[in-house]
Amino acid sequence: MSDLKPDYRPVGYSRAVHGFALALTLSVFPLIWVGSLVTTYDAGMAVPDWPTTYGYNMFTYPLTTWLYGPFDLLAEHSHRLLGTVAGMLTIGLVLSAWKFDSRTWFKWWTLIVLLAVIGQGLLGGLRVRWDARTLAMVHGCTASLFFAMATSTAVMSSKFWFHADGRLWSTGSLARWTATLMALLSFAQLTVGAQLRHVTGGASPQFFAGSVHLHLTLAGAIVLLSFVLWSSTTQVAAPPTRRSALGLVLLVLVQVALGIGTWLVNYALPWPELNEFLARYTIQAKGYAESMVVTAHVATGSLIICFSTVATFAAWRTRAVRATRPEGTWQWKKQLA
Amino acid sequence: MSGKALLFLKRLTSRLTNRLTNLLTWGATLGGAIALSGLVGCEVPVATFQPNKLQATVLGEKNSIDMSPATAEVSAALEELFGTPDDPRWPAALMEEEHLAKLVDMERLQRAAGAVRSDEQDQHFGLYREHCVHCHGTSGNGLGPTATFLNPYPRDFRLGVFKFKSTPFGRKPTRTDLTRLLKEGIMGTSMPSFRLLKDDELESLVDYVIYLSARGEVERKLLASSTELDFTDGDHLYDPSIKEKDPDEFEAQMEVINEIVIGVAESWDKATDQAITVAAPPEDYPLFTRDVGGSPEVYGKLEESIASGRKIFHGNVANCATCHGNTALGDGQKNDYDIWTKDWLQALNLDPKNREQISPYLKLGALKPRNIVPRNLRSGMYRGGSQPVDIYMRIVLGIDGTTMPAAAMKPQNPLGLSENEVWDVVNYVLSLPYEHLSNSAASVPPFAREKP
Repeated sequence: MSDLKPDYRPVGYSRAVHGFALALTLSVFPLIWVGSLVTTYDAGMAVPDWPTTYGYNMFTYPLTTWLYGPFDLLAEHSHRLLGTVAGMLTIGLVLSAWKFDSRTWFKWWTLIVLLAVIGQGLLGGLRVRWDARTLAMVHGCTASLFFAMATSTAVMSSKFWFHADGRLWSTGSLARWTATLMALLSFAQLTVGAQLRHVTGGASPQFFAGSVHLHLTLAGAIVLLSFVLWSSTTQVAAPPTRRSALGLVLLVLVQVALGIGTWLVNYALPWPELNEFLARYTIQAKGYAESMVVTAHVATGSLIICFSTVATFAAWRTRAVRATRPEGTWQWKKQLA
Repeated sequence: MSGKALLFLKRLTSRLTNRLTNLLTWGATLGGAIALSGLVGCEVPVATFQPNKLQATVLGEKNSIDMSPATAEVSAALEELFGTPDDPRWPAALMEEEHLAKLVDMERLQRAAGAVRSDEQDQHFGLYREHCVHCHGTSGNGLGPTATFLNPYPRDFRLGVFKFKSTPFGRKPTRTDLTRLLKEGIMGTSMPSFRLLKDDELESLVDYVIYLSARGEVERKLLASSTELDFTDGDHLYDPSIKEKDPDEFEAQMEVINEIVIGVAESWDKATDQAITVAAPPEDYPLFTRDVGGSPEVYGKLEESIASGRKIFHGNVANCATCHGNTALGDGQKNDYDIWTKDWLQALNLDPKNREQISPYLKLGALKPRNIVPRNLRSGMYRGGSQPVDIYMRIVLGIDGTTMPAAAMKPQNPLGLSENEVWDVVNYVLSLPYEHLSNSAASVPPFAREKP
């Protein structure tokens, strides 16, 4: 069985490139969390200028006002600074990829990631400059898309990617397509969720009701898909797909609980006299617990997209190699026998 | 075909399939993402007041007239009087009267209006859109995007009717009533507590609620008064084009409009003087929340008070059991509707259960009729406040817009309740969550237990 164990450092793998990709992915999650906090507290316009912060270069903005000033300002300015961290890490990724990675397509891909992070920053900036809530909504949706891009880059630069030669792992088509569908539906779900979160007084009740029903339908589909993915990933499926599938089941269950909590802390339940707690509960506007539940719901949503991306890319990678090197599968079967 | 060529063909097909699948996956991902992000912008601009189409239609059908010219002129008059959601105004006629000008503070009104933003000093602007618009709507019509999901529906300010207040039935609330409601929220409903907001922010929101309510009530009254005009015969409610040509006629139009505006503002101004002050019960009077666990003597008095309250609750004067039920579970009369629903249902004598009949009005902004359910007094949830004084006020003042009437009181009504009797009912109501359900049957008058 020791033959099956991959080498420590496969050919083509670069620790620097993967390190940057991983750091970028890890930096995007808190960025989304804080961005979501900005929306929860309606703090998008807490700093009216961009790229400066109240006339200061954003890096030289006084620490005391940032940290001890209004909470809205803390959230918005922190979001901007975290955004620049993601930007720097993307530049590091591009430089390291062009220096160390031999794959031409990957080098170009990192440039696309760089363009995406610049675009995302611009969207955020224009949202402020134009005071446009719609742009804030788009910015929120594309944030998760960027998270998925960063995650896929981390997968494509990982040791697994270089080891996935089909001799070790084979992900079935059901798992592969389920993971893909899961990633797509999770993104659609987050987009619909963004509609609900950024809803303005101008939207009609019919529009809101339609969005709620779609959000619930997609939630049902995602719960179902997560269990299908989990049960269809066999022992020989790509390890990232396997692990992500388990993680997705857990995340989706947490997300359902957070979703119910989000509705409860925003609108209360429509049948309050169901039990004493609901009957006596008074929503606290901008309360800490309330805000954290809502923010966690958004952040977990983006984490589901992240995990689905890992599962999808790893699954297609093992399938892709198998297709191009059919003998690999044969050898693997022979070894198992 | 040789084996080599076959192998080549096999590999080529395999590569092509692989690339095609990748391309499709990427295409679907990016295409879907772009399409979804694009859909995100499908919303109506927020900064316009929606006209009261429902009332205009109801009035038009009731009087068999075309209300479109009236609606257009009312909208124009309202914009002149009250401005826009981004730039609100307090009518000029009210600014001329000191006591009416003071009803709202212009600086605070501006602060509550407009888009959401905040500054380095943590001053928040656009407060209404930050905290209220999602449920109460831009016009304060209770038709924000979330409205259909909420139970009870968000308040429509335009009728000028508010439930929980310290003024008599049918009167406007005081500023203190509104501020308190904002601070406390309403338990068991979607109305949150805004106690984390600063006092000046709450005051700004109160100003804006009064502004929206006054604007909405003026709109209703202007629409109603316009039914007396014959627009086809050249009558006008508000025609700014004659301002220069025929100033006398324009002034006459404004006089009618201003009379309505001042009438509405006066009703708000009087509220403070109309508020009742509830005197605390005498020191030796037992109050449920105050004296539970007191001396045996006090406890004995409390039991007596609760027993008296139970009797009044089921008696003919207070007659609480008719709606709240013999068990006080809120299972009495449950077929009625609140005033916001009756407003359009009764005007046209519509059957709320006839979907076909009501559906055209739902499209105009009416919300699906829901029966108004009396409070289950055993849940310990009192929406207007859970202090004894709050329950006292609900009994003597009633709840506006609902079927909860104000109790008949002595000495105005010799058959009514005395203050102590009201406190007895308060004690009984507050004791209900702790009373075993089986005990309630003993208190039910024999005739009420008889089956029809």
